[in-house]
Amino acid sequence: MSTLQVSIYRYNPETDDAPYMQEFQVDTQGRDLMVLNVIQMIKEQDSTLAYRRSCREGVCGSDGVNMNGKNGLTCVTPISEVTKGNKLVLRPLPGLPVVRDLVVDMSMFYKQYERIQPYLQNDASEPAIERLQSPEDRDKLDGLYECILCACCSTSCPSFWWNPDKFVGPAGLLQAYRFLADSRDTATKERLSSLDDPFSVFRCRGIMNCVNVCPKGLNPTRAIGKIREMLLSNAT
Amino acid sequence: MLRGARESESAVNSKKNPSQGKRPVNLDLTSLQFPLPSLVSITHRISGIILFVGLIFLFWAFDVSLSSPAGFDAVKDAITGNALAKIVCWGLLSALGYHLVAGIRHLLMDIGYGESLEGGQRGSQLVIVISAVLVILSGVWVW
Repeated sequence: MSTLQVSIYRYNPETDDAPYMQEFQVDTQGRDLMVLNVIQMIKEQDSTLAYRRSCREGVCGSDGVNMNGKNGLTCVTPISEVTKGNKLVLRPLPGLPVVRDLVVDMSMFYKQYERIQPYLQNDASEPAIERLQSPEDRDKLDGLYECILCACCSTSCPSFWWNPDKFVGPAGLLQAYRFLADSRDTATKERLSSLDDPFSVFRCRGIMNCVNVCPKGLNPTRAIGKIREMLLSNAT
Repeated sequence: MLRGARESESAVNSKKNPSQGKRPVNLDLTSLQFPLPSLVSITHRISGIILFVGLIFLFWAFDVSLSSPAGFDAVKDAITGNALAKIVCWGLLSALGYHLVAGIRHLLMDIGYGESLEGGQRGSQLVIVISAVLVILSGVWVW
């Protein structure tokens, strides 16, 4: 049995009133393909299928999709990892508006990323050489800077589904902590006060869906815990 | 003039993108996989709601039992003899046991324990095992 039964979420705003699931059969010839390969084979059957992809090696983060109920990057997910009984269900990332088929509108996600000011801020006068950092301080950024903004985590988070406008979400908060933890950044106080409300950080209930899906093996839950600790010790 | 220009611009925009604003959202919860830590967390919340509602009846029973010796006997008879009252008591004790154990896990996570992928799994399994023991023990206690 090398035929894979694939069910794909389809929606074309110009012709469809509502999304629907479409069935495809793909002959994998017994190979353990990546899900992206399967999507490409379906694209050959039906060229109207829309999806995002770019680097096809888990670096660009553009092909985040919900595969059999779990978010992940299609290019680095072998079908053996997600299929149940030769069946693969592909749906767009949950919680974000669908532009077409597997393509979602990421504006809300990017807005939350923009909100945490994801760039180094330092009010000291510019030195003649680079701003130096000890190896120990540099180590603090490991597990934070590697994020590729694929949105797999934030779109697996119920708190982000219900409050995408107020809760920063795991991806944004991981980056918020990346700059809070950076010894070269001097805006710690301002960063913390912009997060100090009931929604931005504290909507996280620690259910760890984000950690469960991150294709880079990062841990937003731990970063959020660290931000909470900083908020706590910063409060009077 | 300016207004006219703006209007035609928005007309073009809406023509270019007729679907914006009524785009569908994929949020069919039955199609999603929920890992153990998320199920443990939602059950924690549900048990909290059950306790909140259930306490109304418990307080009412408590009030009746304190109102008079006859009231005390009535409540005592219900709890020792009535199967339905026993099931309600057992249910509330189970909800309390689960809520307590899962709540302690959340507190431990707040101080940094069990926040890794494996730690979250193991913590949730532990919550289920310990609360299952509590549920059985409370059943034994009620009957």
